Amino acid sequence: MFVAKDLAPLVPELFVAVSAMVLLLYGVFAKGNPTRTVVWASVLVLVVALVLVWQVPAGRQAVLSGMFVTDSFTAVMKSLVLIGSAVSLVLSVGFIRQEEMERFEFPVLLLLATVGMMMMVSANDLISLYVGLELQSLALYVVAAFRRDSERSTEAGLKYFVLGALSSGMLLYGASLIYGFAGSTNFTDLAKLFAGGHGHVSVGLVVGIVFLAAGLAFKVSAVPFHMWTPDVYEGAPTAVTAFFASAPKVAAMALFVRAIISPFGALVAEWQQIIILLAGASMLLGAFAAIWQKNIKRLMAYSSIGHVGFALVGLAAGTSEGVRGVVVYMAVYLAMTLGTFACILAMRQKNGLVEGIDDLAGLARTQPGMAFALAVFMFSLAGVPPLAGFFGKFYVFMAAINAKLYVLSVIGVLSSVVGAFYYLRIVKIMYFDAPGEPFLHPMPRELGVVAAVASLFTLLFVVFPMPILNGAAMAAKALFP
Amino acid sequence: MAEFWNGYLLPGILILAQILVLVVPLLLAVAYLTLMERKVLAAMQLRMGPNVVGPFGLFQPWADAVKLMFKEPILPTGANKVVFVIAPMITFILALIAWAVIPLGTGLVIANINVGILYLFAISSLGVYGIIMAGWASNSRYAFLGALRSSAQMVSYEVSMGFVIITVLLLVGSLNLGHIVEAQHGGFWKWHWVPLFPMFIVFFISALAETNRHPFDLPEAEAELVAGYQVEYSSMSFALFFLGEYANMILMSAMTAILFMGGWLPPFEFGPTAGVLGALWGFFWFFLKIFVLLFVFIWIRATLPRYRYDQLMRIGWKVFLPLSLIYLVIVAGFVTYWPR
Amino acid sequence: MIVQAIAFYLFAAVTVGSAFLVITAKNPVHSVLFLILAFFNAAALFVLMGAEFIAMILVIVYVGAVAVLFLFVVMMLDINFVELRQGFQQYLPFGLLIGAILLVELILILAGSIAAPDALAPAASPAPSLDQVTNTHALGAVLYTKYIYLFQGAGLVLLVAMIGAIVLTHRKREGVKKQDSFAQFARRREEAVELKKVEPGQGIQ
Repeated sequence: MFVAKDLAPLVPELFVAVSAMVLLLYGVFAKGNPTRTVVWASVLVLVVALVLVWQVPAGRQAVLSGMFVTDSFTAVMKSLVLIGSAVSLVLSVGFIRQEEMERFEFPVLLLLATVGMMMMVSANDLISLYVGLELQSLALYVVAAFRRDSERSTEAGLKYFVLGALSSGMLLYGASLIYGFAGSTNFTDLAKLFAGGHGHVSVGLVVGIVFLAAGLAFKVSAVPFHMWTPDVYEGAPTAVTAFFASAPKVAAMALFVRAIISPFGALVAEWQQIIILLAGASMLLGAFAAIWQKNIKRLMAYSSIGHVGFALVGLAAGTSEGVRGVVVYMAVYLAMTLGTFACILAMRQKNGLVEGIDDLAGLARTQPGMAFALAVFMFSLAGVPPLAGFFGKFYVFMAAINAKLYVLSVIGVLSSVVGAFYYLRIVKIMYFDAPGEPFLHPMPRELGVVAAVASLFTLLFVVFPMPILNGAAMAAKALFP
Repeated sequence: MAEFWNGYLLPGILILAQILVLVVPLLLAVAYLTLMERKVLAAMQLRMGPNVVGPFGLFQPWADAVKLMFKEPILPTGANKVVFVIAPMITFILALIAWAVIPLGTGLVIANINVGILYLFAISSLGVYGIIMAGWASNSRYAFLGALRSSAQMVSYEVSMGFVIITVLLLVGSLNLGHIVEAQHGGFWKWHWVPLFPMFIVFFISALAETNRHPFDLPEAEAELVAGYQVEYSSMSFALFFLGEYANMILMSAMTAILFMGGWLPPFEFGPTAGVLGALWGFFWFFLKIFVLLFVFIWIRATLPRYRYDQLMRIGWKVFLPLSLIYLVIVAGFVTYWPR
Repeated sequence: MIVQAIAFYLFAAVTVGSAFLVITAKNPVHSVLFLILAFFNAAALFVLMGAEFIAMILVIVYVGAVAVLFLFVVMMLDINFVELRQGFQQYLPFGLLIGAILLVELILILAGSIAAPDALAPAASPAPSLDQVTNTHALGAVLYTKYIYLFQGAGLVLLVAMIGAIVLTHRKREGVKKQDSFAQFARRREEAVELKKVEPGQGIQ
């Protein structure tokens, strides 16, 4: 049974979902091309939702027969997701106009995907986890193939869809094993069942957790479930890639953390090795495979695989400190990625967008501002102190060392050294190579603003780290009652 | 042994007898429905209709049956043999098994199941398989085109039919066909066609589309598709399609009668209600309603020209679907706020 | 009870058999038809379990609508199966190996712990007896109350699927004449017909 009080924690989701439907109706019936209006209205909706997220009743609220939960972890993660979605929408404004993707369904699908991500973040049950995940994924498959006349875009959409369906199958299989061996799908009940660590844990349950982790690892694109990432990132329209790399990553990581920590927190010994393997392999592959990339979108795909690995190091620690590291890492990662993609979206020559790394040659002379911003992001992605990226890595490695995961930390440090090579190569190309064909001069205003804000965040994180750190600590505490 | 006799054999024989009692008159009715159709059409077109075989042509269906049986069954060379043979059987069997849940009077039904209306809906939605399999297995363009049209048409109209059924379900609160009829007790103004008048119309028109009858007979449109999916069939396999189509017409009329016109209930509360006489009285009214509806089927055939395909789809998706959805909400509101 | 047992084994055997034929049939249309047969027998198994509502919905939704459209598409596709199966032989041993390993692993795991001792006993959740509450009532009572969140979430998923299908396929074609039935109905006789008096041997001017 539910009553109006039960709906209070749901207000942000309801608001975004209803607004998406209203905008859909408006888009269908409006005269002319309503896309611009719908895009900016969607940004407004996301901003309002961001406010609403912090207005829900404080403390842990599990409503609707325990399927939906809000606490400070969900508030922080939802804020990141909403910021990611809103900024990606802003980034896409010019892109969809120039690339003949100007259809009002694009922002509507992004809004619905955001609802899915918020549902994922708040999931407190294996079934609501799955529903949220599918809502998000389905919308993403469609936007990946959104430029339906382009072969690459449709290929990306189809590849993502087929592999995504496979991973959903694995996830469901794991969920059903967990239900079969534990007798509940609810995270709270599961946590109660395992609390205190009495009795033995059946092997079937562990297999269930493995499958669940495999399905989730696909969604965050951790090695060995990363194969789709480079192809999809390269094939999808660039604005869509920017979206893929930001909000859904954060949401999937939040889901990963909650689905592992909240019900199975007491079983660290059972799942820790899986996460360690995922994290180590992702960091190594992200570092080495990116070296030979010539396409910057593909490079960003491998980079995101590597960063997921770093974030998973925090989860592998399985402690409150580790989760805090994950949250900080995702916040920093979000800012760097969005900023980088703002620059990539500005790589427009006379004949349209270019994606080659060599096209950046001599950017420092033609567009010093953009080159500086991109250089800041690259240094930060590489983890050079005192930029934000360094602190992200610092907190997860601290947690890993405190949890005695020395090997993993060493692998992490080594792979960030290797990774620094290709990030710095981009900086070198921009500053020391002879300029090629220049980009169309003024960077569009919205891209410029995003790049500037993101680079300021990256630069100034060292000065004002406390809001992020406190928020992350608060969020992490909510998962460890 | 006694256990075997009482537990299995006797009920088995009883069920078999019930089935025969239902199916044999049904097949007779189908045979004479074809005659009725020809006679009514003829009358509307100022002709005589069949009048050579027997008095008033009453033996015409038998003559047709004998003729069809002695024709050569043809299997086209390119046909997919098994599917080709199975398709008419499916059509015919589906038209018959649906009758298992149709109540002819209080408790007079072979299988009194809780989800009777869903069963009917499921069976009628399967009807498309006979057609699509026939069209594909014939390996002929006309047949395939007919099958494609038919499947799109039936799937489209099922959607609004489903919503219509839900409105009835909301008023009755049960999916059992017997309960649906009994809920309409008390004279013809208590029948569901009064509160659900638009749905009654939608349902009847959808029934025309589901049975591929005029004006929605695009799957077999003689003029363009030379009888569509049936074009390669001859002899008894053709006869099975033919019988199936007419049996489906009777089934749809029975469904309409049960859902909206009070089934076996008389229009005014008079006449016997219990015993054998009551059952017969109920039969009479049920058959009369089915007869009237069948007459309307034929009347429409004689009156209306065939729809164009896009018009058919537009009515289904753009008129019936929103209409039934809106009406569903209205009915749900009434049931919630003005309970009986 | 023996009738139920016979019926169960019959339906179960047909389900498994047709499911096997789905993947081995040479003709894709036959595969789909066997798939439909499998659905149908699964529905029959539901009826045997007393889940009549689910059985009927399975037939209506899967057999009556989804499989029809599936069949529709498969019939129209022109697939060359010889070509499609060329790579099959090459990957078969590899696939079989992985499948066998997975199967052995799962059997080893599940065989050791079929009865989960630490389960929360989901069976203890009260399921009303079939004579008291019909399937439909029982489902309706939880679907719109306890599981309303999932129900609405699934609704949103379907909305996304619908938008996606339209976005990816719908094209506005230029120069297509559209019927405007309102304009047709609104047309008066005066606009459409003009009466002319034709004198013999003159013709119309």
